[in-house]
Amino acid sequence: MAVDKRKKSTSESLRNTRTYGKFRCHNPSCMGRLQPEGGQGEVQCPECGMAFRVAWIRPDFPRIRGPVWEVNRKLAEEALKNKEGN
Amino acid sequence: MALNRKIGYVDLTTGEVDVQPIPLEARKKYLGGRGLDAYLLYNHTKKGCDPLGPDNVLLISGGLLTATCASATARTHVMAKSPLTGMLGSANMGGFFAPEMAWAGFHHLVIRGKAKKPVYLYVHDGTIEIRDAKHLWGLSTTDTQWAIREELGDEEVKSCVIGQAGENLVRFANVMTGVKNAAGRTGMGCVMGSKNLKAVAARGTMDINIAHPVEALEYNKGFIDQITSAKVNQTQGTLGTPFIWGATNSWGGLRTRNFQLNQLEYADDIEPERLDEIATETIGPHHMTGCFGCQVHCRAQYRIPSGPHAGKYDEGPEYTSQGAFGAEPECRSAETVLTGNHLVDQYGMDNLEVGSLIAWAMELYELGIINKKQTGGLDLRFGNDEALLEMTERIAFRKGWLANALADGGIPASEKIGKNSFDYLIQVKGMSNLHSDERATPALALNIATASRGSDHLRSRPAIDLYHLPEAVLRKIYSSPIPYEGPLSSEHTSYEGKPWQVFWQENCYMAVDCLGICKYHTVFLGATLPNFEDWPKVIYYNTGLEMTPEEIWEAAERCNMLERMFNLREGLARTDLKKGDMLNHRYFDEPCLRGAPGVVGLTIDRKKFKQMVDEFYTHKGLDKTGKPKAATLKRLGLAKEPSHLV
Amino acid sequence: MPEEAKVLKIDYEKCTGCRLCELVCSVHHDGVSNPMRSRIKVVKWEADGIYVPMACQQCEDAPCLNACPAKAISRNVEMGRVEVDYAICIGCRTCVSVCPFGAMNFNSIERKVSKCDLCDGDPQCVRFCEVKAVDVVTEGDLSLPKKRQAAEKIVAAGVRSAVLEAESH
Repeated sequence: MAVDKRKKSTSESLRNTRTYGKFRCHNPSCMGRLQPEGGQGEVQCPECGMAFRVAWIRPDFPRIRGPVWEVNRKLAEEALKNKEGN
Repeated sequence: MALNRKIGYVDLTTGEVDVQPIPLEARKKYLGGRGLDAYLLYNHTKKGCDPLGPDNVLLISGGLLTATCASATARTHVMAKSPLTGMLGSANMGGFFAPEMAWAGFHHLVIRGKAKKPVYLYVHDGTIEIRDAKHLWGLSTTDTQWAIREELGDEEVKSCVIGQAGENLVRFANVMTGVKNAAGRTGMGCVMGSKNLKAVAARGTMDINIAHPVEALEYNKGFIDQITSAKVNQTQGTLGTPFIWGATNSWGGLRTRNFQLNQLEYADDIEPERLDEIATETIGPHHMTGCFGCQVHCRAQYRIPSGPHAGKYDEGPEYTSQGAFGAEPECRSAETVLTGNHLVDQYGMDNLEVGSLIAWAMELYELGIINKKQTGGLDLRFGNDEALLEMTERIAFRKGWLANALADGGIPASEKIGKNSFDYLIQVKGMSNLHSDERATPALALNIATASRGSDHLRSRPAIDLYHLPEAVLRKIYSSPIPYEGPLSSEHTSYEGKPWQVFWQENCYMAVDCLGICKYHTVFLGATLPNFEDWPKVIYYNTGLEMTPEEIWEAAERCNMLERMFNLREGLARTDLKKGDMLNHRYFDEPCLRGAPGVVGLTIDRKKFKQMVDEFYTHKGLDKTGKPKAATLKRLGLAKEPSHLV
Repeated sequence: MPEEAKVLKIDYEKCTGCRLCELVCSVHHDGVSNPMRSRIKVVKWEADGIYVPMACQQCEDAPCLNACPAKAISRNVEMGRVEVDYAICIGCRTCVSVCPFGAMNFNSIERKVSKCDLCDGDPQCVRFCEVKAVDVVTEGDLSLPKKRQAAEKIVAAGVRSAVLEAESH
């Protein structure tokens, strides 16, 4: 049988790319790595300026709960104005 | 062993039952589950058959690996010609039914005909019995299951059933098992209802021999670890599928107010963390449950915290219910989401269809296309939680003119409503879309446009396209098992290479559905989860069947082609807005108004979309009209269908 | 002094009801998938979402051992388990009927009784249960986590009553 026990599959070899304790910015054109401090409630992406509320799955496992609405709205309105201006 | 599970043929008109083995040739070509169902559907129905007539066949199946020592081999597949779309009807659910059916000796059921009065099937250790279901008619999905257990005196019986919606021939009624597991799309429950078939119950104590048990057990341990150590699954195991909400709503991927906005602002009360709090408050800290053999345990449990249904137990809500009872109708209350989820679970209806159609009706109401007389007195404006839930109930029982029209599905309803109502209907091939907004993601737009069962995220969606993965990682995933040297782009707004990603995912998800395992165990929401290269080991250790990654790929490609051939037979035409691989004009004409700066202002480019479809057809071996080329059919061994192997 | 015996510790609140324990038990012992053969069984009240894994408690004063008319059941101190000698067993199922937990099973295919043997020291149900609804601990430690849990509740209640007391002033 063509089962090679030693050879790692793609998924197994990609496993070491996983990072814990960090998350990515939720702007899909940015996806900058963000690493909030333990218990921190909000985080702003230094790359694109989007701001997020942070939730903690476990004390060592942060995730984005949702956007900081005022910042999100402001960025969207500015972007729309710029695009319409062009 | 798994390979000796049978096909049970049941004719409800004559009461005849026949049991046949599955030839190895059929196994190798179509694997099992959805793939073999597609073969059975193509072979056992005739062109143009009435979806609600006795000649339509209802197929219920487990996969090749169901109940074996792989991971999460829990999925049940249901297939028939769809009464909603008139094309492929196909739906998949978790829970415990398919494993029980496999222990009872069966992988596939082919049910045709129509019973004179309500009946249910009892599948038990190699036998199939047709039993009276008069006493079950009218019961909810869960009450039906508990009543069958009581009648048979066996708490271990697992059933897949229909609720009132299926009995009332709501064209998007579910087949359900457990409290909330739903084969929820394309109206498979409606087909069951049309056959007077209330339930299929299973109970089995037959061995499934594992070909190499020691290796299977050891390999499974590592396999599970690979799956559960992924951050995405650890998050799912805490919050369930709603975990996607936070990201999608942040960047602007939620279809809100039918299709007017792409974000539900200030919806903190229905964010997954809040739903998790409610579940913790009502059930306790350990409130997650799982399907058979699955360690991801992504299903939350809850009791409705307040309102007229306060205290009722249910499971979920899934991400889909957040959209159906949140984003689309622009409602922001957790009580509404949890109550709405409970109603569709109990009546057995597709939450996606319900939410989407009501949101559509809300837009029509606000535009004055339908009036308050037609809504039966309901003030059906966006954000009216009470009207949303009332309309949900009415649809299940077809109560009132509008609810009765909506219960027939979007396209027939648009014909009844008239005017330009169809222009506002967000559907593909007659099936409503999930509450996702694909205007900023060409790959996802191509996925819903070309999916075999209509607008759908579980057939070919390259969800990882939104992760901005390095091109090298994309290359590693998407150029195996078949080499691919064309373009790939990390940018979600790009059109480059997306058709290949959609083609690859289409085959990946088909393989998963044939094996009977869950999509959270493959490259769907996480890039580091198992795929083609990992499956040969699982298949070999468990069943003894030797298959290479390329052979699994080819089988998946073949099964996808059969589904396309079925759709072509039933009228698929590339640019037809009602039966084609085509999107509503709003995707091309109305820009995104919310979300991340790079998303705002985007639409799908018509010309580039057409090019993507062309490229996708080329990958699949189709001509420009979307029909398979003769060489493709020959390569896949489909030139002589229907071939009646089973 | 011999090493303290290991026992199964079941925390039903953590159980997700997935039944992987049943699957791996039957595959490990019999090389087949079949929950009917499993030594562990998840009992469910699905309408309320409650799942309780049930397995042999390896009782000190084991009713199955006491009741066996053929004296086929004995205690293996080294393995920390109660076991069946199939060379002696007559298959009368008395042990099945007297077990207060229903943990002695009757396998209707091989037509003999079966029970948890702790997989000779490496219980597979424990190995595969990621949520640790089934765990293995040394006998002496069995009640310590429960004590801690109960103590936490007392502390929480104490804090809460102190707050209420402060608020009332």
